[in-house]
Amino acid sequence: MAVLHAWRTARVTPLGELHAPPRMTAVLVRLTVQVVLVASLWSGLYANTGAKAGMSREQAITYAVLAVLASRLRELDQFAGRDTVIQHMHFGTIVYWYLRPLPPARYHALRAVGEQVYGAAWALAGYAVCLAAGVVEPPGSAAVAGVFVLSLLLGQLVLYHVMLLLDQMCFWTVRNTAAMLILIFAQNLMSGVYAPLWFFPGWFRTLSTFLPFQATLNVPLSLYVGRIQLSDAGGQLAVQAGWVVLLHLFTRFLWRRAARRVISQGG
Amino acid sequence: MNAVRIAWRITRLNFRSQLEYRTEFLLMVAIGAIWQVSVIVFATVLLTRFSGMGGWDSSDVLLIPATRMLAHGLFVLVLGRMHGIGRFIQEGRIDIYLLRPMPVHRQVQLQYFPTNAIGDLTVAVGLMIGALSRSHLDWTAGRITYLTVCLIGGMLLEAALFTAVACASLRFPAADYWGRWLEELLGTFGSYPLNVLPRAVGGFLTFGLPLAFVAYFPAAVLTGHGHDTGVPYWLAAASPLLGLLAYLGARLLWRWSLGHYTGVNG
Repeated sequence: MAVLHAWRTARVTPLGELHAPPRMTAVLVRLTVQVVLVASLWSGLYANTGAKAGMSREQAITYAVLAVLASRLRELDQFAGRDTVIQHMHFGTIVYWYLRPLPPARYHALRAVGEQVYGAAWALAGYAVCLAAGVVEPPGSAAVAGVFVLSLLLGQLVLYHVMLLLDQMCFWTVRNTAAMLILIFAQNLMSGVYAPLWFFPGWFRTLSTFLPFQATLNVPLSLYVGRIQLSDAGGQLAVQAGWVVLLHLFTRFLWRRAARRVISQGG
Repeated sequence: MNAVRIAWRITRLNFRSQLEYRTEFLLMVAIGAIWQVSVIVFATVLLTRFSGMGGWDSSDVLLIPATRMLAHGLFVLVLGRMHGIGRFIQEGRIDIYLLRPMPVHRQVQLQYFPTNAIGDLTVAVGLMIGALSRSHLDWTAGRITYLTVCLIGGMLLEAALFTAVACASLRFPAADYWGRWLEELLGTFGSYPLNVLPRAVGGFLTFGLPLAFVAYFPAAVLTGHGHDTGVPYWLAAASPLLGLLAYLGARLLWRWSLGHYTGVNG
């Protein structure tokens, strides 16, 4: 029964997407154009130069294109579905999360799993096309591929918890737009979505190591393209796992505190 | 005159209402600045690692993000409420605007005060001062006038693009998704010489999505690269005029779309 409930909850967003063909077309067009633009940009930049910041032309293109595909994993338009925490807080409907037989924390996690699996299908299809077209390089070896998948999973867990923190913030602040934009910006900048972190100055990369964002994308992508060697993978995976545990404990604590703040309209 | 007075009064009230949540106010100023800094960081990373980008001197390249960011800051301040309008359409607020004795477009622009524009403009002005001080060009009155006209043209062109997305949102509120992408594209691909890209891609960013006219062409004309942009010189030089024409066209499209708006209740 629990599995059935989980399945029904997880498939809400993917089903919503599948029933909105214009949205899916938009995703397809955007992903295609973005991949072409990013690949063109980096090949253009490398046209008259050799390796930069320890990254060859192929490594840079593969990293940038994979970053575009990976950012697809959690980019669903939840706002259109009116199921974001900020909307529930705004309309007072958050109280329903606490009236269901499913704990809010589990509901939130199941919805995220559904979204991420759906996003992964897009990313995987895009990856297959890019690989076949020769836009991205295949992983160096089976071991690299395995470590990359493990690292990507851990990265997605870190990302989930970071996004969860933002949602939980809504329980304490009347507005969270600015904080959300700042965090999303930090996530994109420090995870390597805008440009591979290896191109940034040394102080910036040092700063990134103290924050969870680079664990979401930079580590798995660097492992994939070989910028982080397999021999150093253990330490990086341990750091990712450490962030997952730390953020999980913190968000669990916040869920408990958040429950005390929920009041139905009128008190 | 009365309309200007009302708009000014509403803007003042909107500003005061933004001050109600002080932390949010300061954070919104910060987000404006941070968003612009991200563009600088991206451009700086590319500039320092790949010097001589597209045959341009780095001080010349700097003029592109400076122009784009200042035009963007002005857009956010004056006409920026068109971005993200899908949310207001979804919540049915447009239906309320239709009942009031003020043009809907003006009401949309007066919805709230764009606090983030303060941060946007602060960083953009700083970058423009930096770009001008590093520039080797002789900044004559003619050049300064052209740059000023280009900034207004860039603002109008960006407004035209977001107004077109807003028109689509009147029919499909989820079209807002395109607005977010547009903002991202303008930030990442509007800040350096587009001649580093293959011709087809550069052509797309010129004629498909005309972001080359926002800052790249004006900067090329100002710095003497106007003949190497892949389009006739006169077309690159006429960028501000194109911005104006695009904005007028977008406003006509808005009027037409609003006439065909049916709302959630039919």
